[in-house]
This record gives sequence, C-alpha cells and structure tokens, in this order.
Amino acid sequence: MANRTVSTAEAIHGTNPQFLIDKIFRQRIYNSLYWKEHCFGLTVTGVMEKAVDLQAIGREYGESHRPTEFACLLLKLLQLQPDQPMLDALIDQEDFKYLRALAVFYYRLTQPSVDIYTKLEPLYRDYRKLRAFDSGSMQITYMDQLVDSLLTENIVFLITLPHLTRRMTLEDAGEIAPRISPLDGDDSDSDSDSSASE
Amino acid sequence: MSTNAYGESKKTEGFRRNWDNEAYAKKARDREQQNRLADEDEERRRKGLKPRTRGARPTEARELLQSRKQAVDLEGMVGKVQIVQASTAASGQPGFYCKVCDVTVKDSLSYLDHINGKNHQRVLNRSMKVASETVADVLAKLQSLRELKRRQQQQTKDEYSFQEQVNQQQQAERQKRDKRREARRRQRQAKARGVGSKSPSPDADADDMGSAMGFASFGSTKK
Repeated sequence: MANRTVSTAEAIHGTNPQFLIDKIFRQRIYNSLYWKEHCFGLTVTGVMEKAVDLQAIGREYGESHRPTEFACLLLKLLQLQPDQPMLDALIDQEDFKYLRALAVFYYRLTQPSVDIYTKLEPLYRDYRKLRAFDSGSMQITYMDQLVDSLLTENIVFLITLPHLTRRMTLEDAGEIAPRISPLDGDDSDSDSDSSASE
Repeated sequence: MSTNAYGESKKTEGFRRNWDNEAYAKKARDREQQNRLADEDEERRRKGLKPRTRGARPTEARELLQSRKQAVDLEGMVGKVQIVQASTAASGQPGFYCKVCDVTVKDSLSYLDHINGKNHQRVLNRSMKVASETVADVLAKLQSLRELKRRQQQQTKDEYSFQEQVNQQQQAERQKRDKRREARRRQRQAKARGVGSKSPSPDADADDMGSAMGFASFGSTKK
C-alpha cells in the first residue's frame, strides 16, 4: 500500500480520492523522502502521531519545492479515507492544532458542502497561531484564517479545492440554517466585558 | 416427514440454501492463485523471461502491513571505509544492502523504494494492506497523545522553572560558603592546638623554615 488507495475507499467527487491532489504535485509527494521514509504503512492513528509533531502547514518549501510534511500527511489521509466519526474526533479535539488543521483541510476536500459549513464554521472561534509555508516563505496564520480561506477561496496553498456550494444557495434551498455569528448574541456581553476590563 | 412437490424431504431449519463455505473458499483461493500465476507469467513473458514453472504454493494468510517503528538508517555508513569485493555477490557490492532479500541498491531513495516494495514485504510475509481502524482506536490514540503531551510539558516545566533554578543556585552557594567556613574554623583550631602541643608536622617545619627565611609560608596566603 505504498501509494495505493485502500480497497474499501469510496469514490469522492466521482474519482479516486487521491486525485484531489493534482497529479504533478502528487508525484512529487510520492518521490519525497518524508513520504517514503515516514509515511509508509501508516494507519489513521499513525497519521495522527505524525500530525501531532507537525511544525507548519502548507504545500511546499525550499528552492526545490519539496512537499511539506503536511501535504504528505494530507495525501495519506486521502489514501486511508477515515470515516465520519473519526474525522469528527480529529476536528473536535483541541489539544493539537496542527492535527486539527490537517483534519479541517481534509474535511474541506472530501465532504459535501452542507457538512463543511456546519463543521467548519464553529472553528472561526479558534484563534490559535499556525505556521504556514506559503509562496516560498514561512508565515504566521491563524486557525480561523485558515478556515475562512477554506470556506471562501477556491485555491488554498495552491491546492484546488472542490466546488463548494454557496451558503446563500443552501440557505434558500432550506438545507442549512442561516449562520449565527458568535458576535451577534453576546453584543451586550462584550460591551460589559470591555467596560469591565477598562 | 413432509415432502415437497419434488418428493424430497422438506428442510425445516430454513429456506436458505446451505453452502459449503470451506469448499468454496478453497475453490476461490485456487482460482486466485491461478490468476496470480498467470499474471506473473504474463508479465515475465512481456519482459522476455521464462514463465515461472512453480508448483502450487501454500496460500497462507499474510500479515497486515506495518509502519516502521524506527527511522531507516540511511546515514549509518557515512565516513566508514568498506572494501568492495570483485565478486558478484550482492552483499559485497557498494550501496545499500537489504539483508532480507539479499539485494544491494545504489542510492537511498531506491533503497526506500525497495523496502517499501511489494517483493520485500512479501518476503516478510506481509500483504500490502494496512489495518482498518475504528473511532475507538482514534479516540484511544488521542487520549494517549494527550497523556504524552502532558508528561512532556511537565518535564520541560521542571527543566525551565526559573525559581527552581535560583533556589538551586542559592542552595549550592550556601553549601559552598558553609564548607569554606568550616574548613577555616578547623584550620584555626588545628593552629591553636599546634601552638599548644608543638606537634612536629611537616607544616610546622615549613613554618619554622619560613619564619627563619623571613616569610610565613609557601604558596598563596589566600585560603
């Protein structure tokens, strides 16, 4: 199972889930040292073990555009296709932010639009910092920023995301309730908080 | 006993047919093996090799694929001198030698390819399938990772506690000072005793000599 998708995996968006990573980049991952040395024979728990030690998110790094460990583990998850409850467990945990970031990215790639909105929008409240390799340099980003770009952009870290139905369309179709921003409810609370802290 | 329309005795335990699972499993195994052999022979023929004329191999269940627990030692031979033999044996050739398969490959990436490969895993009696896991496994792993993280944080806290460091330093200094004070006191006592009893000691000799020559003692006056 070096590079093959597990036999029990279901097609996602009509194809092999690994094809969600474009071919050129996928081949680069298959040829990378991290993939060959550390990602061989991993199960979902193995991926978790590695993801906990991640130092950054992103696509590639360095002059020679080496795939990051994050990208390798993302492809590994696409191979293994963890099921819905597993993904919930990975996203709901709060102790390991890079594990969460990885699971969130995987979720955006593979799940239907309604699920994506309902699962990822609560993560707008996660303000933790993340290191990110982006366009050749290391930058600081935040979890909510990552979630926002996953929900609003088509290409994140040069990985083309599958089409996400617009929220308004889903709301009109009655498939999803209008989003309630966490800021809406506690307007007075935040005012009193700020006055108390001043 | 009741009979059906064909004059056979009715089965009372159920309407389903009884399958001989063992026999069909064996049949399926044999067919699979035949197919595999045929595929292999086909591939060999394409490469221009002779088809493999093997008897029926025992189809034992292979283990699941395991991930490596420790890192691959790729740099272990750096800086070492190896005598390359003129023989054609794989073990004598320069490069990365796989003991399991008796194969030498020339670079690290090929070596990784080899040990990740199907042939190598087959020799180790492993299939190329990984274990399938459930949510329970994932939750248990999360718990153990949390535990590990907590323990690591505790350790680092021990290492880098500033107050702890200061306390230790102060303690050490106090001990040093006490020791020095004690030593000085003992010396003073010994001196007092020496004046009283005039015990012939090498120190006392040296002192006599020193006083004769006009100085107290050799060495530093610093105690």
